[in-house]
Amino acid sequence: MDSQETLVNNDLVRAWLKWGFFWSIFGPLIGILVSLKFNYPNFLNTEYTVFGRLRPIHINGVVFGFFTTVVFGLFYYMVPKITGVRLYREEWGRPLILIWNLALAAGFIGIAAGYNNGLEVAEFPAPVAVVLWLVFVTIAFQIFKTIGHRKEETLYVSLWYLIAGLVWTSVNLVLGYFILPYFTSGANSAALHGLFIHYTVGLWITPAGLACIYYFLPAASGNPLYSHRLGLIGFWSLAFFYPFVGIHHYLFSPIVDWAETLAIGASLMLIIPVTAVLVNFYGTLKGKWHTFIDNFTVKLLIVGTLFYFLGSLQGCFEAMRGLQKSTHFTDFVIAHSHLTVFGGYIVFALASCYYVWPKVTGLPFSRNLARVSTWMIIIGISGMGLGLITQGLIQGNMLMTGSVFVDSVAAMKPYWLLRSGVGITMDVGVALVAINLLRGKA
Amino acid sequence: MKRAKFVALLAGFTFIFLAIFVQAFIPSRLKETSVKYVTRTIRTSLGELQEVKGDSRPYEGVIEQGRKIYIREGCWYCHSMYVRPVTGEERRWGPVSQVGEYAYDTPHLFGTRRIGPDLTRDGGRYGDDWHHVHFFDARVIVPDSIMPKFPWLFELKDGKEVPNAEGAALIAFVQNLGMNRGKWRDEFSSQIVSGGSAAITTAGSLSHGKEVYEKRCQGCHGEKGDGKGEAAAFFTKVLPRDFTSATFKFRTTPSGSLPLDSDLYRTITAGVRGTAMPPWYELPEVDRWDVVQYIKTFGAEFKVSVPDPPIYVPRAPNPTEELLARGEELHKTFQCATCHGEDHKGDGPSAASLTDDWGNHIQPADFTTGIFKVGPRPEDIYRTFMTGLNGTPMPAYDSALPSEEDRWALSYYILSLSADMR
Repeated sequence: MDSQETLVNNDLVRAWLKWGFFWSIFGPLIGILVSLKFNYPNFLNTEYTVFGRLRPIHINGVVFGFFTTVVFGLFYYMVPKITGVRLYREEWGRPLILIWNLALAAGFIGIAAGYNNGLEVAEFPAPVAVVLWLVFVTIAFQIFKTIGHRKEETLYVSLWYLIAGLVWTSVNLVLGYFILPYFTSGANSAALHGLFIHYTVGLWITPAGLACIYYFLPAASGNPLYSHRLGLIGFWSLAFFYPFVGIHHYLFSPIVDWAETLAIGASLMLIIPVTAVLVNFYGTLKGKWHTFIDNFTVKLLIVGTLFYFLGSLQGCFEAMRGLQKSTHFTDFVIAHSHLTVFGGYIVFALASCYYVWPKVTGLPFSRNLARVSTWMIIIGISGMGLGLITQGLIQGNMLMTGSVFVDSVAAMKPYWLLRSGVGITMDVGVALVAINLLRGKA
Repeated sequence: MKRAKFVALLAGFTFIFLAIFVQAFIPSRLKETSVKYVTRTIRTSLGELQEVKGDSRPYEGVIEQGRKIYIREGCWYCHSMYVRPVTGEERRWGPVSQVGEYAYDTPHLFGTRRIGPDLTRDGGRYGDDWHHVHFFDARVIVPDSIMPKFPWLFELKDGKEVPNAEGAALIAFVQNLGMNRGKWRDEFSSQIVSGGSAAITTAGSLSHGKEVYEKRCQGCHGEKGDGKGEAAAFFTKVLPRDFTSATFKFRTTPSGSLPLDSDLYRTITAGVRGTAMPPWYELPEVDRWDVVQYIKTFGAEFKVSVPDPPIYVPRAPNPTEELLARGEELHKTFQCATCHGEDHKGDGPSAASLTDDWGNHIQPADFTTGIFKVGPRPEDIYRTFMTGLNGTPMPAYDSALPSEEDRWALSYYILSLSADMR
């Protein structure tokens, strides 16, 4: 144990996670403000906080603020542990943390001030985008170098996802930040943008989140991974099919039909990695299900796997033209994004924090508070998923049967109020996780 | 060591570049995705509508500036911008999107969510006056709307809130949406209704009509139907109709008569182009008929008299050069230019002094814009000559134009003044 203690630079992990905890309150809080505007459109309606400016802050705040910052901290912990060597150029850590988080803050201020590239998930103004990309690539380089120096010859599953995810996203951010806004137009811009949007979730959030669970589930439960071969199937099917799915965001659009069809086919094929992952994680707990009760890391990872499975499966079917006729453009899609990103990956990241934070601080957390926050998260995300799916189906059918558009909006209002309620519940749950860990008391 | 590089190269680089190559690069090289033309509806020099292949138009000047504001304010998070060929979208919004319409869109604004309606075909659906109110406070005019208010796009001028330079640019951009397709709205079947049967009134008609009125009409026409709704204060061009007078412009009945129920139904369905009165073809038919019944309760005249029999509008003949020449002649004979101007822009010598029955200044129609309040078909123009526009200085010419052919000649001549090619 002692030799391992010295592998990890606890200070750096703590610094990343502290910033991550800050964004874990910020990103979802903006989401709550945005959701309240659906029922109270005059709420917080200033030039800088109008719906169209807060929404991108919510999404970027969760994806790049909350999730990415936390997983960087988890990588700084995980990579030395798996490779058996200290992180390459640890001294870069401090400036990287500072630059990354200040750039994010500058980006959010920029969007609020009206600097928006006009491309979903790639809104950050150019100077901020350059800085974020440079930090990302530097961290990728640090991790690659560390993996290159590793003690063990075999490469654990987490590292496959880590390597692939860092390569993919280094490429993808170039697409979104530097090519899309300047060199594309019309339907071709939309096709590439569809790819970019889904690379952000599929080739960054997914591999980064899965890298965490593949490491922390065996570590926390004390069982080895159920099947290395299932891991292989899951990884390679994801790596092969996921890059092709993006255009399912723009079905029935002027983008060429065969590209849309290919995207639908690839989306359906994702049933393979999704199922492989589910089976592998539930299998890993074989004989150790008591840890699901005792250990909050295991508990949240397994709960997260369930939401990941349901949300991802919904995504596969949602790509089909027949379903998309009525559900596309409605909250049905927003249900999918919350079930997967929040219910799956954010929950994975929080579960991993329950494991890492006490290790890098030596301080325990309150189990009672953890129990409360876990239930709030479960109730919140379940309510959000069910509510949004229901209202998406209702609105889709209203529009298919010829309702006046604004009437279909009016019919959504009670559901939107419910959505704000469950949204607040799950976001308070997240905030309690952060508070619980930061307090560091039994 | 070897395996790590293998994963990075194959899973990392190869697969993502393969996908980008297949899904983005190849489509972008195809001829059919990089076309710079669209199907455009134009009006010919004979006054007819025709579909032609036309070049896509890039964004310029104030419209380009408006597009930047549209992006800055994040309008595109709630408003998609492509009409799909499914679920009746082409009946709700207009023709299905074509790739050429997006030729100059950097970045594209397809959108992934419809918290508000699709805006691909929004240009010309509402008048500028409607947009003024709607951007300032959407709920005045659409009570159930959840669109934000945009007071920072307005400035106070002579005690009135008017769009500032940015607001005006944004409205110009919105009014240009779909204009690549030209005068498609003039042949949009959802918006065309001629006559129709008389309303069937049931015991519940009035109470249902009242509900419809309160939700859709009251913002402009007012609770008492006197045209003094909250939104009316913003209007600069055409004021909302005062229903208490029972005077209606667009009828099939002779000058001075009350309108038929079907006349009101037609105006509600098609809207009044260029004004704040939008088309209501999306409303269920029963809503439209019942609100007609309710609107009639505001005008005392409806209780004491009945409308005169309607004037029959026959089928329009095909236009010819000779017919148009005759039309131009008649245009001189009847001195249309006194009001409508020598250049047909509605600025004739007496234009400035014209008022309607309520004493408000009224601008004669500008024939060059291609926007016709009465409707865009030759039958609509013909009907206007025969009935006149009650409450305005536009008289009926039914006895002055006894020849059927002359009536059509003048109608087609008026339409030909907004021809896209001469």
